[in-house]
Amino acid sequence: MPATHERTANRPLTTRPKRRSTGPAAREPHRPRHTRRADGRGPWPYLLIAPAVLGMLYLLVYPLARTVLISFQDFGLRELILGDPKFVGFDNYRTLLSDPRFWEVVGRTFFFMAVNVVLIMTLSTLVALMIERLGRFGRTAVLSALVLTWAMPVIAATTVFQWLFHSEFGIVNWALKELGFSSFDRYPWFAHGPAAFTILVVLVVWQSVPFAAITLYSALTTVPTELYESARLDGASGPRIFRSITFPVVRPIFMLVLSLEVIWTFKAFVQIWVTTNGGPGDATTILPVYAVQMALSSQRYDLGSAASLVTVLLMSGVLVLYFRQMFRQEDEAS
Amino acid sequence: MSSRGEPVKLRLLAGVSVLVMTAGLSACSDSSDSSGDGSSGGRTTIDVWLMRDSVSAEFQKEFVAGFEADHPDIDVKVQVQEWDGIGQKVTAALASNDAPDVIETGNTQVAQYAQSGGLLDFSDKVADLGGKDWLKGLAEPGAYQGKQYGIPYYAANRVVIYRTDLFDKAGVDPAAIKTRDQWIDATKKLNKGGTQGIYLPGQMWYALAGFVWDEGGELATESGGTWKGALDSPEALRGMEFYQRLQALGKGPRDSDEAEPPQAEVMAKGQVAQVISTPGGAQVVVENNPELKGKLGFFPIPGKTADTPGAVFTGGSDLVVPMVSTKQDAAYTFIKELTGDAWQKKLAVAMSYVPNKTTLADAVAADPGAAAMAVGAAVGRATPNTPGWAAVEAKNPIKDYMTAVLTGGDAADQAATASEAITTAMKSGS
Repeated sequence: MPATHERTANRPLTTRPKRRSTGPAAREPHRPRHTRRADGRGPWPYLLIAPAVLGMLYLLVYPLARTVLISFQDFGLRELILGDPKFVGFDNYRTLLSDPRFWEVVGRTFFFMAVNVVLIMTLSTLVALMIERLGRFGRTAVLSALVLTWAMPVIAATTVFQWLFHSEFGIVNWALKELGFSSFDRYPWFAHGPAAFTILVVLVVWQSVPFAAITLYSALTTVPTELYESARLDGASGPRIFRSITFPVVRPIFMLVLSLEVIWTFKAFVQIWVTTNGGPGDATTILPVYAVQMALSSQRYDLGSAASLVTVLLMSGVLVLYFRQMFRQEDEAS
Repeated sequence: MSSRGEPVKLRLLAGVSVLVMTAGLSACSDSSDSSGDGSSGGRTTIDVWLMRDSVSAEFQKEFVAGFEADHPDIDVKVQVQEWDGIGQKVTAALASNDAPDVIETGNTQVAQYAQSGGLLDFSDKVADLGGKDWLKGLAEPGAYQGKQYGIPYYAANRVVIYRTDLFDKAGVDPAAIKTRDQWIDATKKLNKGGTQGIYLPGQMWYALAGFVWDEGGELATESGGTWKGALDSPEALRGMEFYQRLQALGKGPRDSDEAEPPQAEVMAKGQVAQVISTPGGAQVVVENNPELKGKLGFFPIPGKTADTPGAVFTGGSDLVVPMVSTKQDAAYTFIKELTGDAWQKKLAVAMSYVPNKTTLADAVAADPGAAAMAVGAAVGRATPNTPGWAAVEAKNPIKDYMTAVLTGGDAADQAATASEAITTAMKSGS
C-alpha cells in the first residue's frame, strides 16, 4: 500500500503542470534509454527476461491459441480423448450466435456487470470520502476492516455467504424470522432466481469495495487542500466542490478502478459456480459460467471455447469504449 | 514516470487481464496425473481408482494383500477418488497419456465414456467373467451399442433406514408398513415434538425417480432416437406430489440434496426417525454417533400397493479400463479377481452391497439391510441408458424442479420447464 500511496500522491502534483506547459518535452526522457539499447549490451537483458516470457507464453498464449483453435473445430469428448478433430470453420460461432439462450446470457452478463460496477463505484467513492473525513482512530479502524475484507479468500467468503443464506440453518433467515418476518421461515434464497442473483451481487460488491475504496482514498489524499480552502471561501457547496475539484483530480484513478471492476465483475465466475452453478434455471448464468457449462457439463469444448472468445471480444469492446472516452477527456483537459 | 505512462500501462493491464481470463476459461482440457509407472523388478504396477466409501479401508487392504499374494507379478496401487467432480477427473484421465489402468465409475456414467471411444471393449471376455448372471442394472448401463465396456462391480439401492427406539416410542410397527399410505400415516405419527418423521432433503432425485416409476412415469422417453424429458407427464407429476407430501413430514432442507449436509450425519446428531439411503449409510450414522448402534433398522421403500415394493434406482459401479492403459492384461486380471465370486461375497458382506451376480445374492441373506435392499432390487431401474444422460446429471434440472415445487412453485409449469431442460441437455450431451 505505501508504494501506491506515494506514487499516486506525487503524480498529479508533479506531472500535471509539466504536461500542460511542455508537450514534446514529455517524450524527451525516453530518448537516452533508446540509444542505450541500440548500443547493445549483449543478450543479457533478453536472457534475464526469457524465463518470465516463456512462462507467460506457455501459461497464457498457448491456452489462448488452443482456445482459438478449438473454437473452429468439432471438438467434443470423443475428440478430446481420441484426438483428430475436424475443422468446421465458423460453425460453432454460428450455432452459438443463433442460440437465443446465448443472447439471454449476454444480456444478463451486461446487466450483472452494470449493477455491480455502479454499486461498487458509488459505495467505494462514498467510503473513500468518509475515510478522508474521519479522525485517526476511525480511519485506522475502517481501513483495517477494508483490508481484512479484501484479504479474505474468495472461496472462503463465498462459502460464508452460502451459510448465511442457508434456508434451514442460515443466520439471515433466523434473524428475519426473529424480527417478525415469518415469511422468511426456511426461505430458500438460492432457489429463487432474483434472490440468488441479488445475493451474488451483494457478495461481489462486498468483495470489490475494499480495493476500490482504498485506491480512491489514496487518490483523494492527493487533492491539494488549498483548492478546497479557496473553493469554500468562494462559497461552493459540498456537491459542487466534489464535482468541480475532487472528481476532476481523481478522475484518472477513478477510471482505472472502473475499468478494473468491469473486468472483475465480467469474470466473476468462482462466486457463481460455487454458490449456484448458474442456477436456478439460468438465473445466474453469465458468460464465463455459460462457457464452462458448455465445455464441462455438455462436453462441447468447441462451443465453450467459442463462448469464451466471444466473451473476451465483448469485454475488450466495453473497455475500448471506456479508454477512448478517457483519452478524449484527457486530451480535452490538456 | 512520464505522463503518457498511465494509458499505456492501462492498455497493457487490460490486455493481460483479458489473457488471464481466457486462460482461466480454457485451461480445462489439460491434465497431468502423475502416477507410478512401469514395472519394477519384473513386477507390473497398476494404478486403480476407486471411489470414496465404495469399499472400507479394511476391505481394500485385505483385497490388495490377497490379490498381490495370488499374483506376485502385479503391484496394485489404489487411489481413492471423491465423487465430487469425478466426471471431469475421469474425462481428463482418459484424454491423457497417463491414465490409471482400472477406474471405478458410476453405472450411469459408462455410456458417455464408451461413446467417446476411450474405453477398452470387453465383449470377448464376458463369458470368462460369468457375464450371464450379472445384474441387469449394472451390465446394461455398462454396455454401449452391443459392446461391453463396463464390468459390473457392485450394486446398492435405497431402502428406508429407521430408528427402532423412536418407532417403539411412537408405537409404530415398521413391519406393518407395506404401502405408501401406511408409510405416510406412520411418518405423521413419528413427526411429533422434537422428532422428525423423515429427513428427506428436497433434491434427492433418485428417490423422486422411484416414485415416478411407481406411478408409471419416466424421467425421459425415447422416440426415433431422440430423447425428451418426461417429468411433465401426469404420472410423473403424481410422483412429485407424493414426494412433496413425504418431504413435509420432517425438516429436510428443500433446496439441497442428501450430500449437503450429509444426511447420515444429520441422522446421527438429531432426532430423525427415518432417512432414505443405501444400507451402507447406517454404518456412517453409527460412526458419527456410536450410541445409535443397534438402534437402526431397515425396510424396503413401500410401493403403491402391498404386493409391489417401491421401484428404486439401481445405483452401483462398473469397472472400466482406459484405452490408453499400457497394462491392460494386468488390469484385466485385477478386474477378474475383484468381480469374481470369492471376493464379491466378501465385499457384499463387508459393505452391505448387492453382489454383481444374481447367483451370489445368498451371500448377504443374513444381513438385514441387504435383505431389505434385495426386495427393492427385484424392481430396480436405471436412468436412461444414453450418453446424453450424463449431461443431465451434470447440470441437473431435476433438482431445480424439485426445489421449485417444494417451495410453492406450480408443479405443472415447473415440470414443463424441467423437461425442456432435460431434452436440451440430452441433445447437447450426445
